[in-house]
Amino acid sequence: MSTGLERQPAVEVTEDELEAIVGDRALARDDHLNAPGFVIRPDDVQDVLKDLRDEAGFDHLANLTAQEYPDRYESIYHLRKYADPTQEVSVVVPTTTDEPVSQTAEPVFRTADWHEREAFDLVGIDYEGHPDPRRILLPETWQGHPLSRDYDQEKPQLVTLTEHANPIQPDHHDDESDTMFLNIGPHHPATHGVLHIETVLDGETVVDVDPDIGYLHRCEEQMCQQGTYRHQIMPYPDRWDYVSAGLLNEWAYARVAEDLADIDVPEYAQVIRTMGAELSRIASHMLALATFALDVYGDFTAIFQYGMRDREVVQDILEDLTGQRLMFNYFRLGGVAWDLPEPREEFIEKTRDFLDGLPAKVDEYNDLLTANEIFQIRTHDTGILEPEVAKQYGCTGPVARGSGIDYDLRRDDPYGYYENLEWDVVTKDGCDNYSRVLVRMQEVEESAKIIEQCLDLLEDWPEDERTVQSNVPRTLKPDADTEIYRAVEGAKGELGIYIRADGTDKPGRFKIRSPCFHNLSALPEMAEGEYIPDMIASLGSLDIVLGEVDR
Amino acid sequence: MTGTTVAATDAASGLPAVPLQDTVLLPERIGELTGLDGFGLGGELLATFLAAFLIGNLMLAMTGVAGPWAKRKITAAFTDRIAVNRLGPAGLFIIVADSVRLLSKELIIPENADRPAYDLAPIVVAASALLGFAVIPMGSGLHLADPEVGLAYVFAVSGIASLGLVMAGYASANKYSLLGGLRAVAQNIAYEIPLVITGMSVVIFAGTLQMGEIVAAQHETLVEIAGISIPTWYAFVNPFAFVLFLVANFAEVGRNPFDTPEAPTEIVAGYQTEYSSVHFVLIYLGEFLHIFLGGAIIATIFLGGPAGPVLPGIVWFIIKIWAVFFATQWLRSAVPRVRIDQLIEIGWKGLLVLSFANLILTAVIVGLIA
Repeated sequence: MSTGLERQPAVEVTEDELEAIVGDRALARDDHLNAPGFVIRPDDVQDVLKDLRDEAGFDHLANLTAQEYPDRYESIYHLRKYADPTQEVSVVVPTTTDEPVSQTAEPVFRTADWHEREAFDLVGIDYEGHPDPRRILLPETWQGHPLSRDYDQEKPQLVTLTEHANPIQPDHHDDESDTMFLNIGPHHPATHGVLHIETVLDGETVVDVDPDIGYLHRCEEQMCQQGTYRHQIMPYPDRWDYVSAGLLNEWAYARVAEDLADIDVPEYAQVIRTMGAELSRIASHMLALATFALDVYGDFTAIFQYGMRDREVVQDILEDLTGQRLMFNYFRLGGVAWDLPEPREEFIEKTRDFLDGLPAKVDEYNDLLTANEIFQIRTHDTGILEPEVAKQYGCTGPVARGSGIDYDLRRDDPYGYYENLEWDVVTKDGCDNYSRVLVRMQEVEESAKIIEQCLDLLEDWPEDERTVQSNVPRTLKPDADTEIYRAVEGAKGELGIYIRADGTDKPGRFKIRSPCFHNLSALPEMAEGEYIPDMIASLGSLDIVLGEVDR
Repeated sequence: MTGTTVAATDAASGLPAVPLQDTVLLPERIGELTGLDGFGLGGELLATFLAAFLIGNLMLAMTGVAGPWAKRKITAAFTDRIAVNRLGPAGLFIIVADSVRLLSKELIIPENADRPAYDLAPIVVAASALLGFAVIPMGSGLHLADPEVGLAYVFAVSGIASLGLVMAGYASANKYSLLGGLRAVAQNIAYEIPLVITGMSVVIFAGTLQMGEIVAAQHETLVEIAGISIPTWYAFVNPFAFVLFLVANFAEVGRNPFDTPEAPTEIVAGYQTEYSSVHFVLIYLGEFLHIFLGGAIIATIFLGGPAGPVLPGIVWFIIKIWAVFFATQWLRSAVPRVRIDQLIEIGWKGLLVLSFANLILTAVIVGLIA
């Protein structure tokens, strides 16, 4: 398929070249485990990021971590390349404690908009020149910044409801124009959770969209910072993308912690992980398809129920494997909790049965959904997300691949057992809602291929070599000031975690890079100028889970 | 008038005469049976009222079955589920439970609601549909009135529903309701014209607007295949008009794929967002009545009204309108909703043109034959 964005082999940029690009703007080096890091002055941010983007090809601002040290604040811009995510560079921007002001990166990477708002909200760094310096996750009247060092968690938030700006304010209507302000959500049938979209309408046309998030903020980062590496953090990832992608999320933590503490994972466990993760992906994509159909069809229709029916089978298989239906807590650092359930043959047989039935079901979906003419006129050329725009917003996963961006961490930044298996990355260049649906549909088939191969391997694995966990110390204490960012391909895209170790058995800073957070921030680009129904469809095609957006 | 029924005979097919239609209307029969016709105008009025009461309750009972029970069961059958099955045989008693539940809910009226309009809207929606049934010949003697302008009357009263939807939309003081109300008007205007124009093509065939006559005109034999005679139902005579009418009708009653006025995922519930308890029941009832009225019009002008072998007329009639109801539920389960602009485009650029083409074609054909 010609995407116009053919996958170019990324130009390898050596560290020397990087140093040359950053030049004497680099105050020092602050290398992370995953990438070289450059410390720069707070007023060089835009310059350096722009040069790295344009001259070295780092076009993906994967994440922005903000944190406070005893003597300084620090913003870390994690850059990667869409063409080759193994090439990474971190830009570290320290600011003083007295005056934590740093230049905004928003003009270079649009996605910095939301990230810097979050950094301001939780840590308390001000970004100079930011176009929209509001809080993002917490209410606008919140006192203090919860992840800053001097924040008193015991102090009650004594702000009465009346002091809040009323989100259901009567109107944004001005006499000049004929627009109408409409609150979609937080209680609305199509927002897939508690999302509030402030919309300005001109008749049926959407003029302005502003997603308001944070209703489901549960301090996940903070909770992970209070848990020990070995066991106490693993249950939390299940709660980020809670709909069914639990194992994929767990892998994000497992990968970053294993790389941080240098833990090996037995090959056998990697195969089980790969299989479980792909089952989770199927379950998650089934739900995405079903709810997208719900948004376009408008009722609990056949296709929605079929999606739930088929997801149920996957859920049963995962329950057999992990003992849980949603909150699996099955991965362990260095492997998985236990082997396949006994009797083994029965489990493998059951999974095979599901895979055998899958092509017929996919055909059925194609009949009902993608081949339906009304469905096509509803989804073709709506919710357009151009690849360059998608990159600006850091979109990943099926959303990026539906815009023709050939980016899949399973292949590009390999982990687990994916390298040794035969499968393809699905991309479509339609950039519209239809493409995103199609990508998910075909990814289900690709996942099925992966599971099939894993089952073959597991079936023939010699009985005395079935090690599910390597030896991992009871207490993990990575060296102080080691920092790492690692990501896996979650169901919605690049699910990454940044950890800074502080020498104890708990992370000093634990930052989650949520794919839904980035994908949702691109909604205004897709929806403005279109009709309300198309905005709803676009929102559905992004497949957001608010648990992951708000964390 | 005397109480004798005139049985229409089907001479062409040679089948035994089937009692097709009573020329005696229901109020007259009731008057005769109860002796009320001896009391002059007052008695006649009372008899008419009794007849209307009977027919109204029959229709309300059908919506009562359709809303809480049949709709669930049909949708469940399409989506691999079972639906209600705990109360009574096949869960039928859920109708009682649901009625109690709905009526006992709190009636919440928005602060800024435009009161008389807000309260009247549900009544207008439900009543306009009920009025339409007055001229529908349902067979087995169930026919309230048979005015010469029957068909025009049905279209006119069912059109009043649009007024109710607009009232509900703006009086609720809710932006979603307003959007829904506006959509409802845009949609009803766009689809009422093709609906009426297509109905006219039937009028050209039948040469009359009188419902009884239209039904009678569909009783000849079109063709006979292996001893089974296909009657001249206008659905067989002019399938094109039938399909046009069916599509326009789905849009008119606001069912999938044309359910944009309430579009749950877009504008929550459209014009009925702010209605609760009894108000909600009335609006919902009105919607179902409109589906059945649509079915009744289709049955009457395209499917031979109450005609059918063996079973009594009313049974056939109910089967036919339930078939239309079933079709709406089928579409609801299987067809995506079109966008509002696409819906208007289909209405004005597609159906309207096609319905005029159909009208002219019919006129030419009828002119040539006659």
